Amino acid sequence: MTIADDIAVPPAPATTKSRAFPTQRVLLGLLSAFVVIFCVLPFILVLAISFGRKIEGAAWVWDFTLENYQRFFVGILWPDEITFLYLQQLGYSFYFAVIASLLAVLTALPFTLLLTRLKRASQAIWLVFILSSLSLSEVFIVMGWDILLSNNSGLPKVFKETGLTAWLKDVGWFQTLRDWGLANPRNVKFKTSDFATILTMSYLVWPYAVILLYPALSRLDPSLSEAARTMGAGRWTVTRTVTLPSIRLPLFGTSLLLFVFLLGSYVAITVFAAPNKHTTAVAIYANIRGSNLNAPFGSTQAIMLLISASVCLYLGHLFNNRAQAR
Amino acid sequence: MPGLELKGVSKFFGNTCAVETTDLSFPEGQLTALLGPSGCGKTTLLRMIAGLEDPTHGAIWLGDADITSVPSHKRKFGMVFQSFALFPHYSVRENVAYSLTIGGMDKSSAYEQANTLLDTVQLGGFGDRRIGELSGGQRQRVAIARALAQEPSVFLLDEPMSALDAKLREEMQVELRLLQQRLGITTVVVTHDQREAMTMADQIVVMSNGRVEQHAKPQQIYHEPANAFVADFIGKANFFDGIVKDGGVVIGKNRLQIDANFQSGSPVRVAIRPERTCIVDTPGDNTITAKVMFVRDLGPLREYHLQSDIGPVIAEYAAGENNPDLKAGDTATVHLPVESLRVFPQANAA
Repeated sequence: MTIADDIAVPPAPATTKSRAFPTQRVLLGLLSAFVVIFCVLPFILVLAISFGRKIEGAAWVWDFTLENYQRFFVGILWPDEITFLYLQQLGYSFYFAVIASLLAVLTALPFTLLLTRLKRASQAIWLVFILSSLSLSEVFIVMGWDILLSNNSGLPKVFKETGLTAWLKDVGWFQTLRDWGLANPRNVKFKTSDFATILTMSYLVWPYAVILLYPALSRLDPSLSEAARTMGAGRWTVTRTVTLPSIRLPLFGTSLLLFVFLLGSYVAITVFAAPNKHTTAVAIYANIRGSNLNAPFGSTQAIMLLISASVCLYLGHLFNNRAQAR
Repeated sequence: MPGLELKGVSKFFGNTCAVETTDLSFPEGQLTALLGPSGCGKTTLLRMIAGLEDPTHGAIWLGDADITSVPSHKRKFGMVFQSFALFPHYSVRENVAYSLTIGGMDKSSAYEQANTLLDTVQLGGFGDRRIGELSGGQRQRVAIARALAQEPSVFLLDEPMSALDAKLREEMQVELRLLQQRLGITTVVVTHDQREAMTMADQIVVMSNGRVEQHAKPQQIYHEPANAFVADFIGKANFFDGIVKDGGVVIGKNRLQIDANFQSGSPVRVAIRPERTCIVDTPGDNTITAKVMFVRDLGPLREYHLQSDIGPVIAEYAAGENNPDLKAGDTATVHLPVESLRVFPQANAA
C-alpha cells in the first residue's frame, strides 16, 4: 500500500466536465477534419499523382513510377540524350524570384526607414494606403503594367512621341538598350523582357516588403545611429556599420519570404517573360490545365518547386539560428 | 582642451520652445551638470552641443572656433546615451574600437587601444563578450570607454546613470568623477538627479521649462538658490507664502523678520532648509509654535515633521547632534533664523 492509496481523492466535478467534453472533442474533430481535407489532402493528392503515368492521347492513370522525377532532372530523351529543360525552368524561377525579391527589399528599405521617421499620423495614413494596395489581385496589377509597358500604348509610345527615343539614338544609348533586349530597331520595348518581368514581380511584393520591414525598422533605436555619428561615422558608414547589421535578420527573413512567394508567380511571367525564360510555375499550369494535359509530370514539377522552396526556408532557418547564436 | 560656449542658443520645435535663448560657458576640464525635471530642455541642449540638433538661433563655440554648423560626425565629441546605444552586433572590443576602425586605424592597433580603454574602465578581459552578456553597470563602462576612444575634446553624457540601480549609481558617480578628473576632459552631464549633480559636478546648470534658472557651483546652488524653483528642486526646503510689511513677512497671524529688500505689500515666498530649522526651548525672534506630527528616523538623520500656523515645517538633525527629545503629539517651538531665510518674489515661485 502506498501513501497515495491512503489519500482520499475528492470527487471531480463530473457533471460540468462531462457536458463540456464532447463539445470540445467534436469541435476539435471538425477542425482536424477541415485541416486534413482542405490543407493536407490536396498536397497528398499532388504527391500521389506525381508518381502516376500519362497515357498518350488520353488522361493519366494512378501508378508508382519515378519516370516523372527522372524526366524532371535529365529530360524526356534520357538515356539517349540528357536535357535540362525542366531544371532550367526551375533555374529561371529562382532567377526571377531572387532578383525581384531583392529589388523589392532594397527599394522598400529606404522608404520604410523614412516612413518610420514620419509623425505617427502620417505613418498610419501611409500604412493604410500600402495595406489597401494588397487588395489588388495579381491579374489586375499585371494588366496595369501590361498597358503601361505595352509597345503601342504605354511608355514606348511616350518615348517615341516625346522624342526621347530619338535622343537616345543621338547619344548612342539606344544601341545599349538593344543589347540589353530593351529596344527593337525602331523604338524602346519592354515586352517581353527580364526588366519588365522583374519590375512587375517586385511591384507585386513591394507592399509586403514594407509591411514586413516596418516593425523591425520602427523598433530600431535611433540612438544607435546617433552614437555612431558622434563617433565620426558619416551617413553611409552609419548605414553600413550600424543600420544594416542591426536589421540583417528582418532583411533576410523578408527577402526569403518574398522569394518563396515569387517562386510561384505565374501571371507576371506569362505576360512579361520571354517564352524561353518561362518558369516552373508556368510549366506546371501548362501540364495540368494547359495544352500538355500531363497531370503526373505537372505534379512532379509542383513537388520539386515545393521541395526547392522548403530547402530555401530551411537554409534560412539555419542561418537565422546561427546569427542569433552569435 | 578648449572650453565650450553657448551664445544666445535657442531651440524651437515648430511653435514649441524647447530651449529659450541661453548663454552658457563650460570651462575647460570641468564637469558641468545640466539639471532639471523631465522636459526642461536639458537633453535638447546637450543634443545641440553634440550636433544632433541644430539650434534655431545662436552659436556654439569650442575655444576659438564656431562649430554651430559642423556636423556631429565631424565634431567628434564623445557621447554616452541614456540607453548606452551599444551596438548589439559587435563585441565589447569592437564597440570600443568603433570610432578608431571607421577612422581608418588598422584593426590590431585599434583593438590594442580598445583593450587599454577597457582596462581603464576596469573591464579588462571582457573584450570578447557580446553586449547582451553584460550587466547594466558593465554596459555603462563600455559606453564610456567607447566614447573616450576617439580622445574627445568634449565628453557628453545624457542621463548615464538612469538605467542603473541606486547602489551601483552611487558607485559609478564617484568612478566617473574620478575618471573625468584624471583625464581632464571638459564634460557635460545631463541628469534629473540633484544628488548625482552635487556628487559629480564642478558647476550645475539648473533648468526648467527650457530656461536656465541658475548656473553656479553646487554649494552656491544649494545655499544661495536664485529662486524658489531652484530652492525646491535642489534638496529639501520649507516654504511659506506671505506679504512683506515693515521689513518682515506677515504669514497669517505670524510675522517673520527677513534680511531682504522688498516693497511693502509684495507677495513673497520664504524658504528655509530643514537642517537650518531649529527646535528651541524658549520662544524668541522668528519663532513659531508647532505640533509634532511625525518623527522620521533615517539613521544618520532624524526629521521632525511639524504642523504650525504658517504651514507644515520639517526640522532635520544629524545623528549625534543635540536631537530634541520629541514625539508625535508634543508641542515644540521652532526657530527660523533670519540669516537662513531665503525670500523670493511669488511670481517666480514654482
